[in-house]
Amino acid sequence: MRRKLHYDFHAPDERYALSKHDIFSYPFKNFGRLDSLSRITVAAVALAFRDAEKPYSPDCKQAIGIVGTSKDGSLVSDREYFKDYMQGGRTLSRANLFIYTLPSSPLGEAAIHFGLRGPLVYATASTDTLPALMTIGADMIDAHQSNMMLVGRAEQDEALYFLLGGNSEQGSFSFLDMQSIVSTMDDIPSILQASSDLQEKKGVA
Amino acid sequence: MQKEMESRRVRSSMNAVIVACDMVTAYGTGIDACWNGIAAGKSAITPVTRFGTRTFQSSYAGIVPGLLYHQASSLVMQMLVSLFSRSSGIIPPDAMLLLATTKGEIDFLEMNILNDAADAAESSLKRLLEKTTELTKVTGMGMVFSSACTSSSAALGYAAALIQSGKTDCILVVACDSVTEFIFSGFSSLMALDAVPARPFDKNRSGLNVGEAAAYAVLMSTDRAAREQRHLLGRIAGWGMSDDANHMTGPSRDSEGMIIAIQKALQSAGMDSKTIGFIAAHGTGTLYNDAMEMRAFHAVFSDQVLPVYSIKGGIGHTMGAAGLVEMIIALKAQREKKIPPTVNLTVPDTDAAGWASGTSQTLDQRTTALITNAGFSGVNTALILAEQ
Repeated sequence: MRRKLHYDFHAPDERYALSKHDIFSYPFKNFGRLDSLSRITVAAVALAFRDAEKPYSPDCKQAIGIVGTSKDGSLVSDREYFKDYMQGGRTLSRANLFIYTLPSSPLGEAAIHFGLRGPLVYATASTDTLPALMTIGADMIDAHQSNMMLVGRAEQDEALYFLLGGNSEQGSFSFLDMQSIVSTMDDIPSILQASSDLQEKKGVA
Repeated sequence: MQKEMESRRVRSSMNAVIVACDMVTAYGTGIDACWNGIAAGKSAITPVTRFGTRTFQSSYAGIVPGLLYHQASSLVMQMLVSLFSRSSGIIPPDAMLLLATTKGEIDFLEMNILNDAADAAESSLKRLLEKTTELTKVTGMGMVFSSACTSSSAALGYAAALIQSGKTDCILVVACDSVTEFIFSGFSSLMALDAVPARPFDKNRSGLNVGEAAAYAVLMSTDRAAREQRHLLGRIAGWGMSDDANHMTGPSRDSEGMIIAIQKALQSAGMDSKTIGFIAAHGTGTLYNDAMEMRAFHAVFSDQVLPVYSIKGGIGHTMGAAGLVEMIIALKAQREKKIPPTVNLTVPDTDAAGWASGTSQTLDQRTTALITNAGFSGVNTALILAEQ
């Protein structure tokens, strides 16, 4: 199943705008507290689950991991935290801003809401990060660290996540979905190439 | 039968062995400086002078001597330069590079906001990866691994998996993090700091101290290490990663995530819990982390009592570098046949009584180590370190 939904959290266009109620299958606790990168990450992950027709619930944690990236890591949240600390007279800082200064924090928010019990890693490569991340996802499944892996990239105004799963045929992998919010078409050819390379390495046509 | 033996031979030729490692910590440069300090029960945690701490919960941290703050070179880069100035001829140029860190060169962002003295973009992890590649002169693929305070143990586990699967035969794992005002103020805002040097597993513990460190390890397949006649320091026999899926900053109350990580590590090593001889714990000194780990150890090692220690009373919590530094000290413990003391531990908490100790112990014949780490976002890792 392949679909593409468009959503801009910062300046929603009437034609495409979705509310968070359309995206999550149950309410996201304290969604407003999340930093912008976490919001768009969890939305993309929710759409990936929906597109893969993979249910999730607050009562059931699953052996699914997540590996994600972003071009600037947590730079926006880093600035926000430290500027706020400076404006506060360099005495006290806000814990709620500090927790988003790790590049892996958006993945942590996804893990909590979707009950992801598998590996959680932020990674960035010297070249072609997304295909490299897909390889990490496949390696994690191969090493029995997780049954499925969410792999993706999030920026302030666009995100792409997909669910990678080992299928019944030994040593092969399949995309369960590919879902994007806002256009990230630049990534698509490299992902497809990486997918094809992976399948080839595993001896699957 | 013959096929199985052949497969076992092939697998063992692709075991991930550690052939070189080094570190810079608050004790100074080198493994022996850190080992000797910890073994003597002396803490390297000191009052911070590089920025004001008057309004914070604590003034203590594990500071590497001689580093200059807010200069042209970041704190982590100064540590890495010092570290790799000692590594001539040790690191194969074709090694893949896995760089583990949480905040890298965050001091550049501080400088930018404080007085516009640096480019904030210089604090990006990708930029640090480029600099580390240049410094180490490796030509293989480079990647940053960041998963909070499990960053370097996750990188080590993944590196071992890549070698075991035959995808590569040599990986350089580098880890670093530093003590900056950014990080110190943040941990203080979370009320996570101890006002005195941290006391992991102690009944009266009340928090952690942040610490800084840089370290590296070269991992190879057994075959390549034999070809290059490398000295074998140890073997990463198994690894496990999990998430609590519970809370951003607090560990799970049921320890289920850590239990899963340990079980995965044992399973991937093909070992049972009776193989483990000692535990190098994350042991931050916070009330909740140490209790979470002890619950997990009691659950996994049900009818056993194993020696457990933490080195964070000695060097502080070195964040993304913690797992690698702790693995190197565990290697040293295996070689010295000695369990180091948990520095600053005087009265073990009820759940740690008989397990953790403020004095060193002799290591018996079971020398395989379990190394555990945990971090924000509920991440957990477990590594199984076997003697080679």
